[in-house]
Amino acid sequence: MRKRSVPSAAVATATVLALALTACSSKAEDDNTGGGGNAGNGDAGDGESLATGPGVTDDTISLGALTDMTGPYATLGVSITQAQQLYVKEVNEEGGVCERDLELTTRDHGYDASQAISAYNELEPNVLAYTQFIGSPFVTAIKDQVDSTDHAVIVAQAWTASLLGSEYIHMVGSTYDVETINAIDFLVDEKGLSEGDSIGHVYFEGDYGENALEGARYAAEELGLTISEQQIKPTDEDMTAQVGTLAREGVSAIIVSAGPRQAASVAGVAAAAGLNVPIIGNNSAFAPQLLATDAAPALLNEFYIAAPTLPIGSEEEGPSTLAEAYLAEYPDATLDNGVVAGWNAARLVTDALRIACDNNDLTREGVAAAMQELNDYDNAFGIVHDFSDPANPSSLESFILTPDTDTPGGLVVEREAFVSELAESFPRE
Amino acid sequence: MSDLLTRVRRGAGEKGPGGPASGRPGRTPRDLVTPGLWLLLGLVLMLLPFYLEAFWLRAGLFAMAAAIGAIGLNLLTGATGQLSLGHAFFLAIGAYGYCVFAGDPDAGVVGFGMPPLLAMVLAVLLAGAAGGIFSPIAGRLRGAYLGIATLALIFIGQHVLFNAHDLTGGYNGRSVPPLDILGFTFDNERVMVASVPFQAVEKLWYLGLILLVLGALFARGILRSRPGRAMNAIRDHRIAAGVMGVPVARYRGAVFIISSMYAGLAGVLLALIFQRTVPSYFGLILALEYLAMIVIGGLGTVGGAVLGAFFVTVIPQVLTRYSEALPLVSAPGTGGVAPGEVSRYLYGAAVVAAVLFLPGGLVRLPAVLRARRARRRAGTTDTGNMEVPS
Amino acid sequence: MTTFLELLITGISLGSVYALIALGFVIIFKSTEVVNFAHASLLLAGGYFAVVSRDTLGFWLALLVGIAGAALLGMLLEFLIIRRYRGRDHSVLAIVTIGIDIVLITELARRIGPQIFSYRDPWGNTMMQLGPVSIPQTRVAAFVVAAALITVFLLAFRYTSWGVAMRAAAEDRGTAALMGVRLGWISASAWAVAGALAAVAALFLSIFPTTGLDRETGLIALKAFPAAIIGGLDSTTGALAGGLIVGVTQSLATGYQSELSFLGNGIGDLAPYLVMVVVLLIRPAGLFGTRELSRV
Repeated sequence: MRKRSVPSAAVATATVLALALTACSSKAEDDNTGGGGNAGNGDAGDGESLATGPGVTDDTISLGALTDMTGPYATLGVSITQAQQLYVKEVNEEGGVCERDLELTTRDHGYDASQAISAYNELEPNVLAYTQFIGSPFVTAIKDQVDSTDHAVIVAQAWTASLLGSEYIHMVGSTYDVETINAIDFLVDEKGLSEGDSIGHVYFEGDYGENALEGARYAAEELGLTISEQQIKPTDEDMTAQVGTLAREGVSAIIVSAGPRQAASVAGVAAAAGLNVPIIGNNSAFAPQLLATDAAPALLNEFYIAAPTLPIGSEEEGPSTLAEAYLAEYPDATLDNGVVAGWNAARLVTDALRIACDNNDLTREGVAAAMQELNDYDNAFGIVHDFSDPANPSSLESFILTPDTDTPGGLVVEREAFVSELAESFPRE
Repeated sequence: MSDLLTRVRRGAGEKGPGGPASGRPGRTPRDLVTPGLWLLLGLVLMLLPFYLEAFWLRAGLFAMAAAIGAIGLNLLTGATGQLSLGHAFFLAIGAYGYCVFAGDPDAGVVGFGMPPLLAMVLAVLLAGAAGGIFSPIAGRLRGAYLGIATLALIFIGQHVLFNAHDLTGGYNGRSVPPLDILGFTFDNERVMVASVPFQAVEKLWYLGLILLVLGALFARGILRSRPGRAMNAIRDHRIAAGVMGVPVARYRGAVFIISSMYAGLAGVLLALIFQRTVPSYFGLILALEYLAMIVIGGLGTVGGAVLGAFFVTVIPQVLTRYSEALPLVSAPGTGGVAPGEVSRYLYGAAVVAAVLFLPGGLVRLPAVLRARRARRRAGTTDTGNMEVPS
Repeated sequence: MTTFLELLITGISLGSVYALIALGFVIIFKSTEVVNFAHASLLLAGGYFAVVSRDTLGFWLALLVGIAGAALLGMLLEFLIIRRYRGRDHSVLAIVTIGIDIVLITELARRIGPQIFSYRDPWGNTMMQLGPVSIPQTRVAAFVVAAALITVFLLAFRYTSWGVAMRAAAEDRGTAALMGVRLGWISASAWAVAGALAAVAALFLSIFPTTGLDRETGLIALKAFPAAIIGGLDSTTGALAGGLIVGVTQSLATGYQSELSFLGNGIGDLAPYLVMVVVLLIRPAGLFGTRELSRV
């Protein structure tokens, strides 16, 4: 009984003290602190009229990167992060942006929701934009907050259609549904599939696989093909049962919307079982490490990847310069598509910053507006992007790539960038 | 050193991990903490939202939600000795249950549009009901069998969360309607309190505190009364407990339900903090983290659950936040150890260390230190009369 | 019918690998009453030791290194941690193994990084024709090796003095100790055997049709939990039966997933757990487990 009086006493005292003490709270708002909003203080030394937002000081622009270096996407996360650190370093060596150095703060969330959301909110008051955000569930989780209050530009490393529709959240390149439609177009155009044929689709549960499946279903319906669906989990690594089923159903091609190991197992089992059909995977279904495994022979024969950029091993100037610089900085690292994705995202944000600087509006809204101006944006990786329409991906084009052991990154171009007519007619709510 | 440890162990053994339940005045640290200290602690906690930045408040809120869930698990595993690897499943039921009951009926996923407070209560009851459905299975199983059977709950739960799109929103989850009590909404709308802007985290902070205090007091009530002793008896010797007249099956079923309700409440609070439910969060790792919490903090005690929850949830946040400033922890690509990895080493090792060197967990740390100090000063074995080091 | 046969054979060969893991799990449980949640890390460690020495030692020696390494690691864990526990509550010890697992898996995953290691085994990706069914040669090898190892172990368990001592210890630790059984040695050797078996399982789980060993390979050990439970945690025969049941269930559920689509997609991984729950409802100690006679 004695203790029962404590809470009410605490409440009373706390209230009094709260009112008395908050005068010295750093969180108390007066006229000068913006509190994470969009206040353009305009106290920058140069250019009297330059409006600045969170993360911008007289000599630095802070950017955030939310990555996964210890969870299931660690391989991707490390490549993206290293490429972005390299990009920021190069930009700063060339004098930075808007007479300021870029500063990239990276947080590893290990694909854990509480860590990811905490990390986003931790960086939010102090960065102008995010060059990286791995994990579409987490991006979706903060989407409302970004749209309504934060207004920070985020370049997400998840190509699912569920992230479309925000003027602040961007992806570089086509979404998985469009990529899959293009892949089917390639199978029909060049691999002789025709009406009545059946395609096997091995896909991950979750938004990557399911988004790809939406595209496949749409294309199949339009083209009179049937899809044999095989859903798997990221922990499934042995595709014998799936490929066996597809073989019995007599599929003429297989699409893999899964991880590299699953793609390699599909290719290996199909080859061993005498199921000699073309196999095409999404951008995330290949890793150069596969070519060092026993799956290599199967992958070098009738295996393709649909991708939203040129491969890192391409001889074009963009990829070859990046590959050289990246290996010079990280001699032991692997060149994979994460490197390209990371570099492109960092470059996109930086170019938007430059436009925002020219517009004298280095606020979050200014950066978002600058993104909208990038409607004819060539990032030297083979595809021209349009970031002006939040409802659509920045491009509908895909390259078709094929593995090659002699090329760094393990992929060469099989078919140049193209858009399927079906991808253009693909309905988006 | 070694004889000290054996002595502490013996001490723990005499009283059982649920030491404070013995309730002898002046014997346990908890009883030595005067109401004045509680008042001060309460005051500090009440004032924190005025000073701490949102990051720390959010970390604290995660810890409070985890603490509520851990209290529930500690009733089940710590006090009654039923190993559960399925706690994350009941958290998910709470979180998703709240979303379904309170959700907007027109939002594309199933939602009943109930008043959020009612939805919260119903979600907790739903979690309890789910525990009730499972408890006949739980009642038949012992030890490891129960542990692995509850593992099935995690996999079934994940399967449903990913596949029942209409109910759960699938992979990307569904958004969480903000809590609303008598017209006061716990959302991001800025409310000025003493010229400090209150957004969701600041508002939820008080909700979390109230729920945690109520949850802790209720659990302490159970543990210190007849049911608590019965639960400990079941843990220590099931058959003997039955012989002495404890209705073993009924108690085990009831504890499973109560524990699930705690998990449900923690799930609701987590959902409110996240503002979105994400299925991958409620997986095996979360369930293991809860077990780690109660072992690190102290099995069978409320204080242990709370301490363990803070340890396990706050440490990764601190390490990630200050990763640049820490030695050993390094940037990617340099071959060093990432902050996420350090926190896993730390809490994995803490679990092992707690069991081997600090039976009874962190809550017993003051007692152990006290014993050590007493020994150093007097060389006696009396550990009971020293002041609490503050 | 061919479909069914093919799925059955695939399931049996996969199941025999699960049985290897489950057997180790059961041996540890019998000798120390610990549910070893660190089994995933033993498996990954065994695989890791083997693949990193593959290039210098060749396949067979590297495999031996993996087996010996995992066995040694198992013994070390027993000696350094499990033996130090003074309490009586074995579910606490189960939680300790979770702690061990977290530390070991984190360290191994950090070392493995983004790499996918290849064993470059002698079987390659050749298929074998068994009547109307074709099956990877590696799967046949897995079945043969697993069956041989399990037989050897069961014989050793029955006829060697080590086996008798272990059974005595499982029966009644106190009496066994009085009869001169060295309990410490018994539990350490149990952990070693479990580690060795897990290392063999790691081999068959990372060669064709799987792509290679990577940081996630250890997760497959989770499949051995329902296997051990279905069979009965303290029954070596049960581990064998449980492994096969899990393998066949999983294979059939995956193969017929379009017929099972009302349960949601991807039911194959869940099916073993559903079977486990059903088995536990009927027999709370598993199919072959010792039933507890006390009733209150």
